[in-house]
Amino acid sequence: MQAGGYFGRALVVDVEDRAARSAPLALDDAVLRAYLGGVGLGTWLLHRLAPAGVDPLAPEAPLAFVFSPLVGTPLTTSAKFAVVAKSPLTGLLTDALASSRFAIAGKLTGNDAIVVRGRAAVLSVLLVDGDGPRLEAAPELGGLSAAQAEAAVRERFGRGWQTAAIGPAGERHVRYATISHDGRHAGRGGLGAVLGAKNVKAVLVRSATRVSIADPHAVLAAAKDLRARSFGPATAKYRELGTLANLLAFNAVSTLPTRNFTAATFDGAHRLAAEELHELRGVARNSCASCSIGCEHIYSRKGGGTQRMEYENVFALGPLCGVSDPDDVFAASARCDELGLDTISAGGTIAWAMECAERGLIDAPWLRFGDGAALLRALDLIGAQEGLGALLAQGSRRAAEVVGQGSIAFAPQVKGMELPGYEPRTLHAMALGLAVNARGADHNRSGSYEADLSGEHDRLNGGAAHAAATVGTEDRAAVMDSMILCKFLRGVFDDPFTEWAALLSKVTGWDVDAAELHATAQRIVLAKRVFNQREGATAADDTLPPRFLETPLELGSGRVAALTADRLRSMIDAYYAARGWDAEGRPGRDDLAGLRLDRVELHDVAGAG
Amino acid sequence: MVGLVDAAAGIVLAGGRSSRMGRAKAALEWHGSTLLQRTTALLARTVGGPVLVVAAPGQELPDLPPGAEVVADPVEGQGPMRGLATGLAALDGRGTVAFVCSTDLPFLHPALIRRVLREFADPGADVVMPVARGHRQPLAAGYRTALVPLIEKLLGEGDLRPGMLFRHCRVLQLDDDELLADRDVARHDPELDSLVNVNEPADYAAALARPEPEIVVERFGALASRGQRGPRTVRASSLGAAAAAVGITLDRHVVAAVNGDQITRDDQLPLVAGDTVAFLSSDAGG
Repeated sequence: MQAGGYFGRALVVDVEDRAARSAPLALDDAVLRAYLGGVGLGTWLLHRLAPAGVDPLAPEAPLAFVFSPLVGTPLTTSAKFAVVAKSPLTGLLTDALASSRFAIAGKLTGNDAIVVRGRAAVLSVLLVDGDGPRLEAAPELGGLSAAQAEAAVRERFGRGWQTAAIGPAGERHVRYATISHDGRHAGRGGLGAVLGAKNVKAVLVRSATRVSIADPHAVLAAAKDLRARSFGPATAKYRELGTLANLLAFNAVSTLPTRNFTAATFDGAHRLAAEELHELRGVARNSCASCSIGCEHIYSRKGGGTQRMEYENVFALGPLCGVSDPDDVFAASARCDELGLDTISAGGTIAWAMECAERGLIDAPWLRFGDGAALLRALDLIGAQEGLGALLAQGSRRAAEVVGQGSIAFAPQVKGMELPGYEPRTLHAMALGLAVNARGADHNRSGSYEADLSGEHDRLNGGAAHAAATVGTEDRAAVMDSMILCKFLRGVFDDPFTEWAALLSKVTGWDVDAAELHATAQRIVLAKRVFNQREGATAADDTLPPRFLETPLELGSGRVAALTADRLRSMIDAYYAARGWDAEGRPGRDDLAGLRLDRVELHDVAGAG
Repeated sequence: MVGLVDAAAGIVLAGGRSSRMGRAKAALEWHGSTLLQRTTALLARTVGGPVLVVAAPGQELPDLPPGAEVVADPVEGQGPMRGLATGLAALDGRGTVAFVCSTDLPFLHPALIRRVLREFADPGADVVMPVARGHRQPLAAGYRTALVPLIEKLLGEGDLRPGMLFRHCRVLQLDDDELLADRDVARHDPELDSLVNVNEPADYAAALARPEPEIVVERFGALASRGQRGPRTVRASSLGAAAAAVGITLDRHVVAAVNGDQITRDDQLPLVAGDTVAFLSSDAGG
């Protein structure tokens, strides 16, 4: 009997020329229970379907839209989906979440995942519903933003479809292009370029069936309880000001990356602060489908229009580039939305280029920190892959390899992915998390800043406690991103694994407990690492750029924040040990056996254990 | 230079007899805490190395801040020199210099501690000692751990006076002008109250009667809603008191940063004049 919340199959679609053919891939109970859904199941699918060493932009590279057992239940924040592929930015696994109705409609096509491979002859859209997939040529969508494309396909195919689309940056294979649905991006790692390389502008899904739930009454009761808790103090920050509330707080604790990480406080922070903008420009709040938090805060733009602003896009396009005028930052965010660009990678790459220009390493005298017009010009060039933009469209690591002259030392990236808005020198657990995470520099899969900012340990004195915190946040993220529940809910759970296990049991009918979920989390983290090792990643990739290891920061208190190579090394050693890996970050053979990955070449990735 | 403070240890000599006070100074109440707790925690928030409390044999101590280590003097009645030797020896390679003080300095300010410790940039300095208003302050001074053999030798010879130690090593003295030449000391401790100790009940009563230090409080995020934005000045001796003064409860959803540095929700954390406390949501990120 099929477990509740699942259909027990993924739809694997090959787009070829002007048609799509598909084959179902059976997902047995053991695989679903081992990987849950979302990011976890997506990782398993990539292991199964991505040829080793595949070019992420090649036709045979798979791109998976993965749903989860909770999608379609009344549980708050559960309407989310993962997009998983080999990243053109990092060459490793990348997984990103987006949310809302695409998740519900996509799952109710009758599939736990939809995997896209191949390459269409012309720009097309892929439609999936109960009748299977079909490819429709859509050259008229070329050059449109994702939002425009969504509107156009709604007009063409009717309102019953939900759409995930790419912008011009995806069409042009910018390595950090996004896929978005209803204005929310599966943002990190260049998933938009992967879809663009398939000549697919958008994937449309339409509900065709229902999914059974093991114990609907218990799920409904749990949903009511969770909804009530979601209005409590743990989510107040998100409801009242949104993630942008981080900006001024991070500035106060010297962890707001500024001018390409040359400082951790920003003089213009107050102009970009949620507290300020909320009063002056706040116009609305919005939420994803099935969400009771409503974290999205919408602000008015100068000259008309509105813009949703989050901490990460304001940090990356504001302080990181030295820009303090909110209208410049709003405009840059809007431009990223239109082009379909990951704001973090775009801001990080441009900030690196600004420093290169100021040092005379690249010939772009117009590109200066603090210049909002230059920021917009750079974004347009990236979106068009023109001039300097063609270089910056590759991300900061590849661009630094071209520019040379030591510029890789201050390229703000790990494994090729640009850093989010957390200064690693003043957040040592986060520094470790950024260094070791499978996706590259990342705050959503490794949120160990939480421990740094909790006072549980000295955030400037990284050690074993920081490694333990990093393992803990990675494990929690692995479960939340696979079940899937929004991380903004995380504070409402007093005993997370126990409570999540109870939710999962009610939906699926499995008798899941906290211990099993802990093992599941570790399995998912390991599966990601093993995928990366298969693709050539080694322990040498688990590091931070030299800037963070060689240049200390001085805090307002007079204390020096220094993250040396030795300190990072010792934290990485502790992290590997806590994970049960060897000194080279390789798992033992026994660990690999639990992955249910038939195609893993164990002798290639296993350590001595 | 700042690295000296980050690497330094702190030692509180808690074992005095308190004979003039008539009761144990360590346990004297201090704005919701005790004198010993405050002094120890003050050292802990200032230096980067370990913080030790040296107690007399069998001495009962009040609660101490997390992380503070207690070391018992092996011998009773040998005065501060014995405590000094015990404390420095207990560091056992975990630091080369330490700020050493007595329990009874309720107005001790981090700026003065940092001022003292920075003088160890002079590699020849064995002791850095404030001399306030002409009085040497050996129990609010910096010492190198390398002095342990010398102190033990002097103790072995029956010489229990700190003055004898100073004859045999290089002491760098800092007078009022030199202490106040430090911008932070001049600004936050212009009267050098850091060096005021309380020996008798009247001293204690007078110290308690002083206004608590002025603290600037800032609130961020959800804590700044409903017209609560912007800095506000309150008087508070501890983080808990500062939170209470602005109506904040230090529960699991709230943390504080003192001067943009330590993140904590320790309501006993001592505050001093010039501190800025930022209260923020612990649910940061996203």
